[in-house]
Amino acid sequence: MKIISNLLEGIEGIRIFYIFGLLLFFSLFIIILIRTLRRSNKEMDEIKKSILTDDDSNETAVS
Amino acid sequence: MENQKFYYDNKIVKLFVLATIIWGVVGVIVGLLIALQLAFPVFNFDFEYTTFGRMRPLHTNAIIFAFVGNAIFAGVYYSLQKLLKARMFNDVLSKIHFWGWQLIIVLAAVTFALGISTSKEYAELEWPIDILITLVWVVFGWNMIGTIVKRRVQHIYAAIWWYLATFLGVAMLHVVNSLELPISLTKSYSIYAGAQDAVVQWWYGHNAVAFFLTTPFLGLMYYYLPKAANRPIYSYKLSIIHFWSLIFLYMWAGPHHLLYQALPDWAQALGVTFSIMLIAPSWGGMINGLLTLRGAWDRVRDNASLKFMVVAVTAYGMSTFEGPMMSLKFVNQLTHFTDWTIAHVHIAGMGWNAGLVFGMLYWMIPKLFRTKLFSEKLANLHFWIATLAILIYAIPLYWAAVTQWLMWHEYTAEGFLAYPNFLETLTQILPMYTVRIIGGTLFLIGFLIMVYNLFKTMKSGSVEDNELAEAPALVIQGRRNPLQETVHRWVERRGVRFSIWVFIVLAIGGAAEILPMIFIKSNIPTIESVLPYTPLELEGRDIYVSEGCHTCHSQVVRPFRWETDRYGEYSKIGEFVYDHPYQWGSRRTGPDLARAGYVGGPMYKNAAWHYNHFKNPQKMNEQSIMPKYDWFARKDVDLSMTPKKIRAMQILGVPYPEGYDEVAVDDYMKQAKEIVADLKKSNIDIEPTKEMVAMIAYMHKLGGDIAPLQLDEGTKEPAPQKEITLLSGVEDMGDADEVFTKICAACHGPSGKGIATFPDLTDAQWINGNSPSDVYYSIRNGNAVKGMIPYKDQLSDKQIIQLTSYILLKLNK
Repeated sequence: MKIISNLLEGIEGIRIFYIFGLLLFFSLFIIILIRTLRRSNKEMDEIKKSILTDDDSNETAVS
Repeated sequence: MENQKFYYDNKIVKLFVLATIIWGVVGVIVGLLIALQLAFPVFNFDFEYTTFGRMRPLHTNAIIFAFVGNAIFAGVYYSLQKLLKARMFNDVLSKIHFWGWQLIIVLAAVTFALGISTSKEYAELEWPIDILITLVWVVFGWNMIGTIVKRRVQHIYAAIWWYLATFLGVAMLHVVNSLELPISLTKSYSIYAGAQDAVVQWWYGHNAVAFFLTTPFLGLMYYYLPKAANRPIYSYKLSIIHFWSLIFLYMWAGPHHLLYQALPDWAQALGVTFSIMLIAPSWGGMINGLLTLRGAWDRVRDNASLKFMVVAVTAYGMSTFEGPMMSLKFVNQLTHFTDWTIAHVHIAGMGWNAGLVFGMLYWMIPKLFRTKLFSEKLANLHFWIATLAILIYAIPLYWAAVTQWLMWHEYTAEGFLAYPNFLETLTQILPMYTVRIIGGTLFLIGFLIMVYNLFKTMKSGSVEDNELAEAPALVIQGRRNPLQETVHRWVERRGVRFSIWVFIVLAIGGAAEILPMIFIKSNIPTIESVLPYTPLELEGRDIYVSEGCHTCHSQVVRPFRWETDRYGEYSKIGEFVYDHPYQWGSRRTGPDLARAGYVGGPMYKNAAWHYNHFKNPQKMNEQSIMPKYDWFARKDVDLSMTPKKIRAMQILGVPYPEGYDEVAVDDYMKQAKEIVADLKKSNIDIEPTKEMVAMIAYMHKLGGDIAPLQLDEGTKEPAPQKEITLLSGVEDMGDADEVFTKICAACHGPSGKGIATFPDLTDAQWINGNSPSDVYYSIRNGNAVKGMIPYKDQLSDKQIIQLTSYILLKLNK
């Protein structure tokens, strides 16, 4: 843990965590957003409908 | 490909369903009890084991971990098997999980009632139970990931991503926040101190909301809402985007629970920024849920299960908008420490969590028991009662929060606090607390209607413990073909790899928030005059922790004029470096105690006052709602533990001299005897080993280190004293009567005859003289050591003259 302590103490300006977090989030977000939007709608439809095809797919049983 | 036969394990689902229902009723009843206690203190029953401080964690833990926890497991065990077309990985693990979790709940209930608590909110359990939780949680994760590995479908459906995030998130949070140094089987100290402890605790606390009350429920929503509506989820793409955004952002937002408190600005800004950003993925989930019902709203009209789900998703949307707004610093001034927080969590708890559980149970139990719901009418009745109950519960509390906050920071034209006596601000909102009880009662009635309806449903059907099913075996796919498979699709089809990615995303936020606080020394500037607790003070602190005093009394003064005028100097980060655990609290049902030991400050009270107040708070303040703690005067502190505690503190870095543990008990007795002698002057006899003495020592330690002891002479103004002309007008007497009732009656009694050892103002005995000038200056300068504050800081000159006149002309005729 001392190694981490030394490393962190050496970082100038704690605000770097703040900026780092935002940058990391936005870069990951943009990548995931683009890649997700490019996925085929057909494939998405198949997946989301798959859960309705099992034996429980009837409407709620009510008296 | 040929189908494989296998059996779903429905028995384990049934067990978790039953546990959900039983613990749900218990949790709501305890909630109702503590609501009663806040409005009518008689419901503390003058009994050690049922005080509010002990019952409040019992309620929160029963609801979160017993009711909601068992509901999560019921929902996960049912849907996981169906989604993966596989029986749970191992029946023995399922059984250990179920019975282990119930054991934890029973142990929690017993230990809280016994006053065994670490006082860290939603993590109050002591270390042996923490270890048990870790083991049972690992069993749950092992069972779940094992099932994912042996599944018969290629794709891991979105609901399961949320279940995985739940397992990994809670595991990380629980382990990091529960790191503590055991002293005995029932006592440990958090390894973190003060501000560090606060950051770790609220990183945990906030993310317990995220990973126990949000992510598993989003998973349940992604399965049960489409099933109940018989329509696929609105957008699967949205589910991917909001999954990764939500689990990434939540981990950073914890410090919004500590705004304006003794925490570096960067950490507060971090919490606020990420909280605001959280609106987007949260609303992504809400929109996905509500739009799933597009074109199917006619079914909502007839179906109580869907009705509950709609209210749940709507409550989720409201709470996840309200939460980020509450984390804006200006708004937080109002919402923090008031009942706003309580209203907020109940909108989320009763609406989102309980609503989704009710919706899930109404859909699942008829399926599980292969029958029809006993009565859709009763289910609808439950829906309307529960929805009404949420409103009747929450609206009075929002009202109470605004009322109390306005009173806390209202000033008179002369520049004094309009309501210097904290109790006035509480008395004002007690009617709202009574209305809240009606809301809670209605919610319980609705719950009991559901219990009846569900048990009748269960009775009319039967569960097939091992339900036969068929599915083709999974063909293991090899390496990713970039032309046929996206990266996310590839990640999705491997359970363990998916889990590792989720863990990395969660760990980034946690590490960025916590590590700098722990490792960078400049974040925790020390204050030279702040000394470690003496053995007596430490024992007093441990009693304070175990009684859950923090559930009503905060110990951190925010840097606002209206707080520093009421409580004293604002809190500094360096004041808390020896606090294992921290005791800042999150709600002020009673006044802040951070400066209770600051002699001459507005919060200081002498030993005799504390003695009488602990024994019977209502005797000192008729309208007080604090429970009686008269057993403090009867019970002894276990001095055999004191040296162990000192050694533990030394291990945690508290700078006691080498070998101090050997003389700790001597020091304890020496300080205790001083307090005993002080009490003796007020004709109070008590032995030095009693808990009362330790509690008084702790009260007098709070905030005293940064405020050097001021003797009463120090606050007195020098002669010559001015001539005072008494005011005998009806209006003056009326004004004085009001001030006397609000402020002076707490020690001198409503008719001025004195309480316990506090002077009678109606007799001929005067300690400091009875000329108008003498009385005027006695009020003006107070008597710091005896706990009478200099009222020149709280009352105008005219008010002090009016009081002088009232005392001499009316009380002391």
